[in-house]
Amino acid sequence: MTSHPPAGTPSGIVLEHVTKRFGRTEVLTDISAVLPPGRIYGLLGANGVGKTTLMSLVCNHTFRSGGTVLIDGEDPAENPVVLGRTCFIREDQPYNDAFKVRDVLSAVSWFYPDWDAALAERLADRFHLPHRTTCKKLSRGQRSALAIVISLASRAAYTFLDEPYLGLDPSARGIFYDELLLAYSEHPRTIVMSTHLIDEAAGLLEEVLVLHEGRIVLRADADEARTSAFVARGLDSAVTALVGHREVLSERRLGSILSVTVRGARTADDESRARAANIALEAASLQELVAAIGIGGIGGVDTESFTTQRTSR
Amino acid sequence: MTAFAEGRPIFLDLADRMADDILAGIYPEETQVPSTNELAAHYRINPATAGKALNRLVDQNVIYKKRGLGMFVATGAPEALRASRRASFTAEFVLPLLDEAARVGLTTDEIVTMIKDQS
Repeated sequence: MTSHPPAGTPSGIVLEHVTKRFGRTEVLTDISAVLPPGRIYGLLGANGVGKTTLMSLVCNHTFRSGGTVLIDGEDPAENPVVLGRTCFIREDQPYNDAFKVRDVLSAVSWFYPDWDAALAERLADRFHLPHRTTCKKLSRGQRSALAIVISLASRAAYTFLDEPYLGLDPSARGIFYDELLLAYSEHPRTIVMSTHLIDEAAGLLEEVLVLHEGRIVLRADADEARTSAFVARGLDSAVTALVGHREVLSERRLGSILSVTVRGARTADDESRARAANIALEAASLQELVAAIGIGGIGGVDTESFTTQRTSR
Repeated sequence: MTAFAEGRPIFLDLADRMADDILAGIYPEETQVPSTNELAAHYRINPATAGKALNRLVDQNVIYKKRGLGMFVATGAPEALRASRRASFTAEFVLPLLDEAARVGLTTDEIVTMIKDQS
């Protein structure tokens, strides 16, 4: 079907018709995507849509039920060379409870050929990780910080971060964003990150893939995705006329006022018609778009919806 | 991190912001503007997005690349920016003003008086 570049060349991740079943439950259905190397991807979607499973099977932590996965042209399954180029940090990364932080950092350094010990030390200090404390005594936030330290110091060509910052306070998340960008600028790599804090992290991403019910329902340039939905709010009949046949992701009513989230970019024509009909047009953020998809908006018109609280202009 | 306008690609907003800074004289003609990585780190955005903002300014001849050195403000860029901002002034500022005026029942004469009182 496709011709793949020779093994070893950084060619990114190729997924072809990837399927994963747990018993009779199909968690991933016919996932096909090409992720060119050297970009930061956001893997987004509601809980339970298959984000963790997809990352797990790309990193060979889980076996796939069907389809093809290639990293740099090679199947990562039972392939230590390719897996040495991957780092997968789980949402609840398990550690040996008896190990001290510095023992963990020293132990994981063996897995990663490009391990940056100086960076690991600097990051551990920045996150105030106590080197002599055993993992058992780390707080939720400290465990996340440790996972982040490992992921960035691994310098793995393919780094997967599954909800990397549970329990991290806003200033620690800020440190994470800064260090992620710094590490990425100094040593470009492919980063796939799942997160629910989309508004906060959206700017870091180059591309977004949105999963819903085990399928990729949206793939877009992250910056352009900011214009891939909008909210129109006004009198029911006027809003309905403005929206026309376009896809409505969600709608809310308040008496005769209708507020709809519409998929697609708003046009200059929309702007002038909205002005004439007293309709307020507002941007829907990427987070709102993903939330609307999670509620089941894509592929059909839903009735219940999510809240967008905004002050009117 | 400074928030970018919703519903608009960040790269457009960032390009406008840098154009504002050039107009304000923060980056004078023939001086260097921040690099892709500096912008990415400062605004906590993807370097590709920062790069697109710089490329947009290059396409508009506002900045240019000096090989091996970085991006510099073109001679005449502030004047060119002023001209293009003047050209879009009606659409960007006057029409929204008239919209709001109509909504609250202000006449054009009343608006003119308000503007004169301010200046």
